[in-house]
Amino acid sequence: MTVDTRSAPSAVRTDNVTKVYGRVTAVDGVSFAVEPGETVGLFGPNGAGKSTLLRLLAGLARPSSGTITFGGVDLVPGDHAVHRTVGVVTHESMLYDDLSARENLRFHADLHEVTDPAARCEAVLDAVNLSGRASQYPSAFSHGLRKRLSLARALLHRPDVLLLDEPYTGLDQRSVADLAAILDGFDDRTVLLTTHDLDRGVGRCDRALVVDRGRLQADVDLGETSAAAFETTYRRAIGVDDGANGGVGP
Amino acid sequence: MRSFLAAISRIVRKDLRIESRSRRVTTTMAMFALLIVLAFAFSFVKTVRNPAVLGRSALWIAFVFGGTLGVTKAATVEDDDAALDGLLLAPVDRSAIYLGKVTSTSLFVFAVNVSTLGATAVLLGYTPTLRTALALLGVLAVAAVGFAAVGVVVATLTFRAGLDELALPLLLVPLVVPVLLAGVELTAALTAGAPTESWLRLLVIYTAVLLLAGVATFDFVVEE
Repeated sequence: MTVDTRSAPSAVRTDNVTKVYGRVTAVDGVSFAVEPGETVGLFGPNGAGKSTLLRLLAGLARPSSGTITFGGVDLVPGDHAVHRTVGVVTHESMLYDDLSARENLRFHADLHEVTDPAARCEAVLDAVNLSGRASQYPSAFSHGLRKRLSLARALLHRPDVLLLDEPYTGLDQRSVADLAAILDGFDDRTVLLTTHDLDRGVGRCDRALVVDRGRLQADVDLGETSAAAFETTYRRAIGVDDGANGGVGP
Repeated sequence: MRSFLAAISRIVRKDLRIESRSRRVTTTMAMFALLIVLAFAFSFVKTVRNPAVLGRSALWIAFVFGGTLGVTKAATVEDDDAALDGLLLAPVDRSAIYLGKVTSTSLFVFAVNVSTLGATAVLLGYTPTLRTALALLGVLAVAAVGFAAVGVVVATLTFRAGLDELALPLLLVPLVVPVLLAGVELTAALTAGAPTESWLRLLVIYTAVLLLAGVATFDFVVEE
């Protein structure tokens, strides 16, 4: 483990990160920094490399080259220090269908050696509005409820950084509103989320990073850009001509 | 070290709890093992006069094929909904995750082997003395650890690489041949009262090598 000696290290920083699978370059020399408390969206069409980038940040995959740091500390997959500070929600819930919601959380709380795990589990269940379903099994949950329980799992160890992969995918409008309300309560955390949903992503994020063909194509401050202007930037960044080649996103 | 052992214990307890509810691993293995013993009973009882030969053949064939099914099912628990990723995101040594999975899988394989031994006694007339039976249980326990040690790595590799489940026995069986060989020979020697040291040494050393190789390679197997 090495420590970044630059002043005020970014919450998350990637330097020229590349990931190659065989002949496919899924992520190609991506560099960016996310400051503490910032909510940053990784936007891009399907297959752009967003999820691979998030798996690299989560330590679930190792970069072929380049470095990733969290608060100035190098990310090494399997390294405990970084895993204690990062919470991850992906497409899959990472839950066991034969354990109740409470048992799932307790198992992960114990693995993270959370202090007073029983109380912490109840607190995160309450935070995601699942206290009334704590004894139920995830197999009985809708997609939206599983997503909420997955978020509870990611929050158990009080991470400084939340990584969310397509948090809105597959959710109905009510579940999206519920999830948005829950995320509103975590504004003090650094959040990095991937999405191909421009409207919802723009509404949630302070900054947008547009990724396509594994490369970072644009870095946009959403506080200084209208939604319409961002959409134009996004279309240009992913190489879609207005109206000529169909719409953006799915 | 305490944290390492605690992580192993938590994973084992989680697997035992899941299995106590779903019975996914043990039921599948036990049914398959019972079918093998039954097939032996129908096919060979009248032609093969030595129950000891029949018993050990059925026992170890059931061990390999039932065990392969069991290892697959045990790995499926972590493959479903990417549960293994949840373990990898925890501040836990990956060797602790591996040893936890090996421990729980060994327990499932061993439990089914004990019931298979009982089935060979009832259906094939293989009734070793109490002393031989206890020694045989010891052999089955070590063999179960060896089988699980390589099975967890191969099954995880199969699922992580997106290979077909059919690839698992093709990769696994060649690696457990020494375990199978030592198990069969030890069972014969124990029943006949012959020396067992050399086969026992092979079984224990090969199991230890498989465990060490598993600890050394699991990190690479789970990593993308």
